[in-house]
Amino acid sequence: MASWPRNPRLIGTRIPRLDGMAKATGKAKYPSDILPAKMLFGAILASPHAHAKIQSIDVKAAESIPGVKAVYVQAKAGSTLRFQGDFIAAAAATSEELARDAVRAIKIEYEILPHVVTEEQAMAPGAPAIVRGGNVRPGRAVIRGIPDSKLAEIEKIVTALPRNQQETRRKQEVEKVFDELFARSDAVVEATYSVPVITHVCLEPHGLTARWDGPDKLTVWASTQAVQVVANELAGEFEIPSANVTVLTDYMGGGFGSKFGADVWGVVAARLARQANAPVRLFLDRSLEHLAAGNRPSATGKVKIGASKDGRVTGLLAETHGTGGTGGAGFPFPYVYDIPVSSRSHSDVFVNGGAQRAMRAPGHPQACAIMEAALDDLADKLGMDPLELRLKNLDPNDFHTPIYKGEIAMAAELIGWREKRKPRGMNGTGPIRHGMGMAMHQWGGGGTQDKKVSCTISPDGTVELKSATQDIGTGARTIMAIIAAEILGLKPTDIVSNIGNSTFPPGQPSGGSTTTPSMSPPTYDAATRARDALFKHLAKVLNVKPEQLSVKDGSVLVEGQASLFWKDACRKLGTASIAETGGFQEGLASVGVGDCQFAEVRVDTETGKVKLLKLVAIQDSGLILDKLTWESQVYGGVIGGINYGLFEERIMDPITGVMLNADMEQYRLAGAADIPEIIVRAYEPDEQKARGVIGVGEPPTISTAAAIGNAVANALGVRVPHWPMSPRNVLMALSAAKKEGRA
Amino acid sequence: MKAFEYSAPSTLEDALKLLSGPDAVALSGGTDLVNRMKDYVTSPARVVYLKDVKPLAGISGDARSGLTLGAGTRLSDIVASAAIRESYPALWQATAEVGSPQIRNMATLGGNLLQRPRCWYYRAGHGLLAMKDGKSLVREGDNRFHAIFMTEGNALFVAPSSLASALAALGSRVTIAGPQGERTILIEDLYQVPRSESDSELALRPGEIVTKVNLPAAAGKSASYEARHKEAQDWPIVLAAVNLTLNGETVSSARIYLAGVAPIPWKCTAAEKAIAGKQLTLQIADEVGEAATSGAAPLSMNAYKVPLVKTTVKRALLAAIGNRYWEA
Ligand SMILES: Cc1cc2nc3c(=O)[nH]c(=O)nc-3n(C[C@H](O)[C@H](O)[C@H](O)COP(=O)(O)OP(=O)(O)OC[C@H]3O[C@@H](n4cnc5c(N)ncnc54)[C@H](O)[C@@H]3O)c2cc1C
Repeated sequence: MASWPRNPRLIGTRIPRLDGMAKATGKAKYPSDILPAKMLFGAILASPHAHAKIQSIDVKAAESIPGVKAVYVQAKAGSTLRFQGDFIAAAAATSEELARDAVRAIKIEYEILPHVVTEEQAMAPGAPAIVRGGNVRPGRAVIRGIPDSKLAEIEKIVTALPRNQQETRRKQEVEKVFDELFARSDAVVEATYSVPVITHVCLEPHGLTARWDGPDKLTVWASTQAVQVVANELAGEFEIPSANVTVLTDYMGGGFGSKFGADVWGVVAARLARQANAPVRLFLDRSLEHLAAGNRPSATGKVKIGASKDGRVTGLLAETHGTGGTGGAGFPFPYVYDIPVSSRSHSDVFVNGGAQRAMRAPGHPQACAIMEAALDDLADKLGMDPLELRLKNLDPNDFHTPIYKGEIAMAAELIGWREKRKPRGMNGTGPIRHGMGMAMHQWGGGGTQDKKVSCTISPDGTVELKSATQDIGTGARTIMAIIAAEILGLKPTDIVSNIGNSTFPPGQPSGGSTTTPSMSPPTYDAATRARDALFKHLAKVLNVKPEQLSVKDGSVLVEGQASLFWKDACRKLGTASIAETGGFQEGLASVGVGDCQFAEVRVDTETGKVKLLKLVAIQDSGLILDKLTWESQVYGGVIGGINYGLFEERIMDPITGVMLNADMEQYRLAGAADIPEIIVRAYEPDEQKARGVIGVGEPPTISTAAAIGNAVANALGVRVPHWPMSPRNVLMALSAAKKEGRA
Repeated sequence: MKAFEYSAPSTLEDALKLLSGPDAVALSGGTDLVNRMKDYVTSPARVVYLKDVKPLAGISGDARSGLTLGAGTRLSDIVASAAIRESYPALWQATAEVGSPQIRNMATLGGNLLQRPRCWYYRAGHGLLAMKDGKSLVREGDNRFHAIFMTEGNALFVAPSSLASALAALGSRVTIAGPQGERTILIEDLYQVPRSESDSELALRPGEIVTKVNLPAAAGKSASYEARHKEAQDWPIVLAAVNLTLNGETVSSARIYLAGVAPIPWKCTAAEKAIAGKQLTLQIADEVGEAATSGAAPLSMNAYKVPLVKTTVKRALLAAIGNRYWEA
């Protein structure tokens, strides 16, 4: 088994990004910045309707505009458009304005079909079915902890009934079990919580620029999280060898799970380029980003949860649903905690909205918000500190439980939980209330084992790493350089970390927090092999044994004594470079994290405004390779979570079927002034470091919104059951509570 | 956007001449107009840039005799004016909180007063009244940011300008130049409720431009307060501006205007009555805030704005006399 250096020089320290200066000064060219010679601008025509059929489509007027070089129709007459933003056609022209004029000049006759765009509409009795099988796809209940004998008994009753009565009866029988369980519980909470659909809002839009370098040779500059996936898809689409497609992503302006493929617009860009015989740039505009480039599904949970006086949860009965537009909306539930008896049934609801795509920790933020709200309300009902309740319900058999406990202790200390937190209803009677809340999350973050990195040492001393992974802002480029520098006794800036090119050795797509754990073992292996090859060569030249050689501070040492500067040592290679390829090494990476976040808020009960004062995020990640880029990931995750907690919401119009806030004005995102003090700490005792590398991109965004929601409930003494914690949702919850005499 | 003819005249006469053509619009900071053009909500044949028109620039006068603000005054210039900050705090505060620094650096007073509503149905091309098949999209659809006063009619958008309400509370007048010469009106008379889709919410006649705004000599105590969602770059959900005439500790009269609640800057007559002759205490401010909500008839999704009317009026009143209890 391989292991990381015991006393690293670089690993785990704070090393600035290699490309930080280029990015900050604008020198870095992002895919959407690349304008190859003779390039044409593309524009997209997308469905203005939520649900419609194209009766006829006429592109003559568009094609006849001077300067318009190609028009491509994707959705022909007869095609059904399933959401506003569904792709219809695109045009390429000598300017962006002309391209837009061209797509506006395409004449289409639509047959408007009935739409459903909200869950309420989709689930209403008599709603028009927009997918075969109906708008609501119920899943079977997943039951845990009810003895098999009892389940068998229920099945016996149920199967005796006619088929169409079985499901209802099964539900009733299961509910009976829970009724008994809750009757024996000391506290029971029954509530409905929800989080809305949000969109990815990548700063750099989706898209690519395509250039044909011959009839079967294609180069594209794509804003993607997976250069090789895009290359393979384009190769498949055009039936050319994938080696003939070069996908380049030197820099990337944000990808949170929605940028893994070539996408219809990418393929169409290449088609237009072929048609026009010139490179074509086709990127989405802001509104299409919201409409067509993915979203995080909504989630609603009708939850009943009970506990005994000592704070041990007795059972959880949950009915959940959500919409991922024309896609599914699943999420894990129950979440994190050890729930002895549970039943959860979930329905996917389909609406005429863009399909969901993976978004930073898919499913988890939704699960976390609902689970943590229910648990917090339960603690309140029991009159118990919610922190204590959580400690009581961690799974004793989970290896992560001691980690959770350590993290909770750290976070509580950092935010001043014991000193400053008061129970609900005790946070004053004035208009301004103070509150604190916490939430917990978990994630995988393990790597794959099939990725490769090449390491070349040239006679001039240059060290170059190559792999077809990409740096989507996580610091992949820097981290690979740190590892090679550590092993070669050099500085990270001495290493050329060459990634973002699909023709390089197989690299990891950046999703699931897997890039660093996938890429660091092969980088380690490649650098080690290259170093050993260099030693072998030098040993001959210097007439020593390779084992006598080592590297340090830019020199090669013989028996610990500096002997040659790195450059001089490499010069001894003559004309032959060293080129080694590294692969997976057991023992360097691991999987599985679980963490907590705490929030402190001030809520103005007269305006409904939630002001975040402080957020504490504790995160475990095994061995941290670069503290700076690691922290950036946690800050970014928390800020994403703040947006989810306070601001974001896709607003669909039930009447016209369109998204009403497909911009960056009414679709609210935090600005600098909305960001509180964020305290980020790694949980990394020595045994954590020994686990090896684990990804960190996704987990820190999971529990922020949940912690904020709990802090707001703590401040107000009233649960705001629907996210975001907007003035409207806060004031509505207060007014409902007042009406019901709860506040 | 649709291609258009562009000109940048330097005299008022030329500007008026250029604007007299059909389908001509004035362009000032462009933060509203250009977006509407990009979205094809407004597609003028001719755009007349006013930046070089000298008489529209600058702030003159003083607080004792009154201030004159050219229509081309940037919002950032208003924020930088010590005279406005000290003597017309209602205007200063309302301006300082507009959007973001970027917007305040570009946006002008004239453009702010004449910006078109942000109603998302209007901005999606459904027109000011947003009627479809005889039904109001606003009333039937998502109206969380729409009017809560005057909702018996079909104009359910809200007047967008923060500055208009502050200037109305301060008793300002606006001067308009047009083909028929110059006229000066009360700022509140610049706004009207459109009755049909061919009406405008602005009482400007074709070819007219706003040249300046006159603030009367500073008298009394003024303030504005807005309730908003985000700190950074956002709109008020509701904004209240007040100007109090004090007789010792007693408020002898008050002007109270709201933004964000009606298709015009909303004059809170009930609140103005409720405060007259009273000493301003927390209790009285609370009552006056409550009075301000009388007549509110929210739509299906915006009842939450009613408590915001109460809060913003209450806080603007108290801010005028230096009580900012919510910051304690
Ligand atoms: C995110 C965001 C937040 C915002 N927040 C606020 C806010 O809190 N409060 C607020 O009040 N506003 C807010 N705004 C709107 C902003 O203040 C206006 O867009 C701006 O004031 C318009 O001024 P302008 O000079 O850019 O106008 P332009 O866009 O140039 O013009 C606006 C309109 O006025 C007409 N016009 C301009 N000058 C004249 C003139 N002299 N005579 C005749 N017609 C003229 C134009 O023809 C056009 O129709 C916000 C905008 C954004 C994008």
